[in-house]
Amino acid sequence: MEYIRKKINLEYHTVRNIPKSVLIKNSEGKTVIDESNPKYYYGKIPDYKIDSEGNFILTPLGQKIVNTIDVTLFLTQDIDDMGIFTDEPFVPKSSQLTIKPNNFNSFTYGRLAGAPVSFYYTNSVTVSGYTDDSLLKQVKSYRKDSQGNDIYVPNLNVSNNPKDNFNGVIYESNFETVYKIGSNNSNVQSTGVEFTTFKNQFTKTVDEYGKSLSYNTTKFVSKNGGWNQYNTSLNASLKKEEYLGVVFKPEVDSAVFINRGIEDIFERHGILSEIKTSNDIDTNRGGFIRI
Amino acid sequence: MATGNYGTIRPADVSIDDVEIFYSYTPNRESLTTVELQSLDPAEVLIPANNPNNVNEIFGGLYTLKLPTSVFGSKGFYSIVIRPKQIRTTIQDCAVLVDNQDVKGIVFDINQIPLELQNRFENGNLVGYRIEYIKEQTGTGQDKIQNLFRIVTSNNRALPISQNQGNSNASQAYTFNDNSTSVFCTVSPSSAPSVKPNAIPFIGNPLQDVIITNTFFNPVMLEIEMVEFDEETLAYALFSNQTKSLEDGIYTIYNFGNQIYRQYNLYEVKDQFTGKPLYEVREQKFTIDPTKDFDDITNF
Repeated sequence: MEYIRKKINLEYHTVRNIPKSVLIKNSEGKTVIDESNPKYYYGKIPDYKIDSEGNFILTPLGQKIVNTIDVTLFLTQDIDDMGIFTDEPFVPKSSQLTIKPNNFNSFTYGRLAGAPVSFYYTNSVTVSGYTDDSLLKQVKSYRKDSQGNDIYVPNLNVSNNPKDNFNGVIYESNFETVYKIGSNNSNVQSTGVEFTTFKNQFTKTVDEYGKSLSYNTTKFVSKNGGWNQYNTSLNASLKKEEYLGVVFKPEVDSAVFINRGIEDIFERHGILSEIKTSNDIDTNRGGFIRI
Repeated sequence: MATGNYGTIRPADVSIDDVEIFYSYTPNRESLTTVELQSLDPAEVLIPANNPNNVNEIFGGLYTLKLPTSVFGSKGFYSIVIRPKQIRTTIQDCAVLVDNQDVKGIVFDINQIPLELQNRFENGNLVGYRIEYIKEQTGTGQDKIQNLFRIVTSNNRALPISQNQGNSNASQAYTFNDNSTSVFCTVSPSSAPSVKPNAIPFIGNPLQDVIITNTFFNPVMLEIEMVEFDEETLAYALFSNQTKSLEDGIYTIYNFGNQIYRQYNLYEVKDQFTGKPLYEVREQKFTIDPTKDFDDITNF
């Protein structure tokens, strides 16, 4: 518990003003104070705020204002990570709420009994920004023009799972190539991430080794941000004592891959084992490997 | 595997509804009377500051304690304790979970909680709350079990399930069910240390009274000494305007706003027989002479 000491002088709250309205003439004709006058507060600390004439200061609603001695203080909270919570199944309340409570907030209400998971969804948000053009190679066709450049064919689905997903170009011009990665076949326009690589705009930067980089400026737009049925579920959070203060669950590592701190000494070799074609060098892990 | 935890100190943005305030008063440090605490309504005396850039957003950390002069207007020492609000209730049951028989917990009945505090017992909302225990046999001295507390690590609505133990006995365990009005809380510590596997920490008994306290901020104690003088008021006597009425011997000291701060009668005590002056006296005058207003005197 924090201990704070303060010294406050009551003099600053004591009335030293004598309004003219409390002055009277005594029998000798001398001006004296009518101490029985309710507006006389000299030397006292009134319970309610008064003006210089001894009248109560009122709120707009006509109420007297309590006279206070104000002290400012700063409250703090010490917090520590409690570690891992475990998701547990639960039986939902049989009578579900149909209307969200006012200003419903899961942090305020917790996992409110009777609240369906849809209460926790948020409106879709559009996320946009700029990136490099490394993903463009993923949507190229197998054909090349007379100069050896890749040809991008609109509506050509190059996804590994073309039955469900669409990865491919949706618009191609002399200035830009617009393509989608991870769209749902049933709704290509509204799903997935849309990239626009500008053919005549370049971004120059420097990598971590000081080497100059240049790539075609690429803009990305995703319209499916926020909490929705694909990334939200309701579970009972249970704390198991053995996970108190543990950041993540223990994992069994293979005998070959020995993690030393944050970097795995065999990681680079492991990545190379994933490379099957020359295209993989460009596209593996979103262009992780540079030649 | 990496283990670790983090901690920080942040400005508290606790709601006034989660605060309790008590105070005691003693006129001096030599008082022999025991401390008698009185309560104050936090809604009336504790005002959170708002962010100047976002009026409806609490600034965080900064609060103004508005002490009513009707209570705090006397010279002396006021001790003010601002602490997290306490909720008193009774443990409904102590049990394990059906699916996690090694997870022990205590169960509360939401219907026993005052209506305005029941939302604190919704799923997950009690995490971080502190539980302190009342002795099961009260009236034997100190009712509270001292130096013992547990921290709630999770809470969920749960329903008791009877488990057949293979003989005539049946034990009760809980399963998470939002239709229930019982809340199953895991607390820490509640499991035995590896070196003493049978030493299960005490987490409470059914029907035992407990005090549940939030940990939204660190409690604070203020000792406020109300005084009548400081450097500023002493400076009135040295540097402020003064008048001495030669007609009636009234000596007036004004504050820096030219209001009457103190008045004194100045007179001599003489020997009644010889008329020889014996003393010059300055005696404080408690009935103020309003005709000694500084502006009236000097406005000529």
